[in-house]
Amino acid sequence: MAQYVVNWILLGCFYAAIGLGFSLIWGIMNIVNLAQGSLVILGAYVAYWSYSILHLNPFLGILTAMVVLFCVGYTIQYLAINRVIRAPILVTFMMTFGLALLISNLLQAFFTGGYKAINTPYSSAGITLLGARIPLLNVAVAAIAVMLTALLSFFLSRTRVGNAILAVGMDRDAARLMGVSLARTYALTFGIGAALAGAAGGMLAMTLQFSPIFTGQYTLFAFVIVALGGLGTPWAALAGGLLFALAEVFGPLIPGVGFGLDTAIAFAVLVLVLILRPNGLLGRPFYA
Amino acid sequence: MSHASSHPTASSAQGQALGQAQPPLLELEHVTKRFGGLPAVEDLSFSVRQGEVLGMIGPNGAGKSTAISLIGGALAPTAGTVRFQGRDITGLAPHRRAQLGIARTFQITQPFAQLDIRENVIVGALFAGHERSRAAAAQRADAVLERVGLARKARLKGEELTVADRKRLEMARALAIHPQLLLLDEVMAGLTLREVGEAVELIREINQSGVTVLVVEHVMRAITGVSDRILVLHHGRKIAEDAPDVVLSDPRVIEAYLGERYARQRAAEQARGARESERGTPELPTPVDTWKEGQA
Amino acid sequence: MARQTQDHEIVTDSATAAAPRESRAWLWSPGLGVVVLAVIGLVPLTGDQSALSLWTFIVMYCVLAQGWNLIGGFAGRAAFGNVAFFGIGAYTVALLLERNQSYWLGLVLAPVIAGLFAFLLGLPVLRLRGHYFGIATLGVAEALGQVVQSKNVGAPSGEISLTPPSLNFQVSNALFFYGFLALSLVTLLGTTWLTRSRFGYALVAIRENEQAAEALGIATYWYKVGAFVLSALPTAVAGGLFAYWQLSFDPVGEGGAFDVTISVAMILMTVLGGAGTILGPILGAIIIEYLDQYTSTAFTTIHGPLLGALIVLVTIFLPQGLVRLVQELMRAPVGVKQSYPMRVRQGVQRVTRFLASNGI
Repeated sequence: MAQYVVNWILLGCFYAAIGLGFSLIWGIMNIVNLAQGSLVILGAYVAYWSYSILHLNPFLGILTAMVVLFCVGYTIQYLAINRVIRAPILVTFMMTFGLALLISNLLQAFFTGGYKAINTPYSSAGITLLGARIPLLNVAVAAIAVMLTALLSFFLSRTRVGNAILAVGMDRDAARLMGVSLARTYALTFGIGAALAGAAGGMLAMTLQFSPIFTGQYTLFAFVIVALGGLGTPWAALAGGLLFALAEVFGPLIPGVGFGLDTAIAFAVLVLVLILRPNGLLGRPFYA
Repeated sequence: MSHASSHPTASSAQGQALGQAQPPLLELEHVTKRFGGLPAVEDLSFSVRQGEVLGMIGPNGAGKSTAISLIGGALAPTAGTVRFQGRDITGLAPHRRAQLGIARTFQITQPFAQLDIRENVIVGALFAGHERSRAAAAQRADAVLERVGLARKARLKGEELTVADRKRLEMARALAIHPQLLLLDEVMAGLTLREVGEAVELIREINQSGVTVLVVEHVMRAITGVSDRILVLHHGRKIAEDAPDVVLSDPRVIEAYLGERYARQRAAEQARGARESERGTPELPTPVDTWKEGQA
Repeated sequence: MARQTQDHEIVTDSATAAAPRESRAWLWSPGLGVVVLAVIGLVPLTGDQSALSLWTFIVMYCVLAQGWNLIGGFAGRAAFGNVAFFGIGAYTVALLLERNQSYWLGLVLAPVIAGLFAFLLGLPVLRLRGHYFGIATLGVAEALGQVVQSKNVGAPSGEISLTPPSLNFQVSNALFFYGFLALSLVTLLGTTWLTRSRFGYALVAIRENEQAAEALGIATYWYKVGAFVLSALPTAVAGGLFAYWQLSFDPVGEGGAFDVTISVAMILMTVLGGAGTILGPILGAIIIEYLDQYTSTAFTTIHGPLLGALIVLVTIFLPQGLVRLVQELMRAPVGVKQSYPMRVRQGVQRVTRFLASNGI
């Protein structure tokens, strides 16, 4: 039992990282970034190469992934998404989907669908506590995820640039009148969201396997996490991640469910929550 | 033009006399609407008599549009009851209320952008207007468009209209329902002087054909020109409800609009006996006059 | 002077002085659709088997796009999971065939079951706001696929492999081609009739402005559910035909009965052709599916990213779709006579302005 709890908490924090960037982009720009999963996998690849080619420490690999993905995200927003941002949601939906297809298929074309992972000598290091095995790498990853959540929250509420982003999220025309550049703020927001996806990718590369096949799944996971937790604050992504992990870890224990139903479980929970609390668990109408 | 109504028609002049003998068409009883902790409308009670024109005024944020939405059904009250034709409609969805004969316009116009004007109005006739066939609905639409003066522009799309025409379209769509009660939410905002005059005429004519009207307005001159009674809201509460001239000289109303200092000034002026009355229509000379679009 | 209108508009009136006549301008979109389908119907006559296979897929996608058009184009609610109905249709037929039931029973039962499912699903899900509705439907489609796979519905891992049942007439590929074609034609006629009916008016009003529609007496929620159910019907029948035609298919993965790419494909096709028009989905399906097949053979490696890039470009430059683009370019201004070049030039200006208004 204790093992399940450990798995739950560690997985939940990791999931929070998946949902963070998605939540930012959605909360500020009202864009459901269907390309989030492919950005995560792209980040995983960047981290993988920085380890295997540049021989960087995998933790630095996370940082590298963040930097690279930030640039990618900024460019994508500036060149493509900014052109459809005032269009009906179907159009932005399709745009991000097209980007997702583009990125994940490019990855698949160049690197095939083979599973990859970063394997270090300390990859399986762990301690055993109360009968549960606690993999230390996962603990580090979970800690990083929580730290990123805190950083994002601080950045948004305490820095000037962060405030600009919040302002644009609340009322873009008013923000514009205050002198905030919409194009650049949006690009910045998407860049940060992509960077967070990159971080999640780096974490993914260290703890699990990755392949371009998973892009869609991670996007769906991100959606469920954010929809569960709500859009109001970065901490909501943590709540959503924990809730989602709860379902994923304990769900298969329910008689009749079994394994292999990850997505199904996720969406059952999602639809339930949405019906009962349309704004998610911690959701607030605006992002802060 | 024919006007189907299950209630006897009553012109505005007879409105008050007849209205007092009949049960009110619309009643709000202790209606409260809170958004989060903030009350937009608080303990509001009033009734609208059959065949009258009731004006509703109040400073910005007083809760006028909220009241319209509560009557139209777009919002559900936190507390209180709404009664229409004696029947409790508090829990009724907006489309059901429209089918019963409550029509509303929107303060920020909501045309069907891609459809042309004629079709905009046909939608109204087809559904809440209870027309069975498209042809019949089209006929009614043409009649209504003629009435509001949009007949020549019938082929323009909703998104191509000027502000004044959009307001007219709002009214036309509402009229296509052949309503018992017409709720007008600031239809005169953004209109020129002449357009305001035309709108006032139109409202009078609609009322004379038997439709009870509830008008929310900021344009004082217009609302005093057309209302049988005026209701004043302030911070979500009713602070006055009476004939126009009485309401507009009510010191509480003046204070609500213009502040305490001005109210004291007026009282001082009145005490000095400096008062003039310009036209035959009962209108407040000084403070409220300066409100209007500066004319002689 | 009659003018080109969007074909979902019921009435266009003509001259000013006399009482407005009903013009025939709405006919050109469905009319053209029928012509296109008729021309496609000639394909089997060429005897080319690979072309026949290609065009069968194309016509199948026509049906799927037309189905989605009902909820996504006319009602304006972007459902992302319509492939669920396709899968339901396919598995209904497959399960019945495995139990040696009549094939026709499957074709009749498929839309019934899918329709019921759409109704039950639509009730909660259509209360959700835009994004949530889309992803909820997407999730349902994904979840269904997973359930079928892990519960081994019909076969281990849901991987169906049927033996063709014996019928008293010759079964050929051309048969399925015409089956899909007939389905597409029926859907076209049905949609045309629908758009000229009261129901169609309600859908368009809901799409344009739901709040105003409610204030005018339209029970928006029920019409949306209705549109959702209607969109499930042709999709499910197509799934049933697909099951019989292919005889073996998987629940998930590329080309699977619940494959999400199919869902996205039908949306892309409808959007490219023109959502909310009659001709649009057909046009879009032809273009996209043809391109898809062509690039997957000619440029196998980059065919995926090519599709992605295409989607991105369409959303930037053609969000209103081809049919509406043409209508916009050809639009005659009210009451003024204008030459065609002038009209096109002004149309281009209008379109450019519209595209710019989508951006910052």
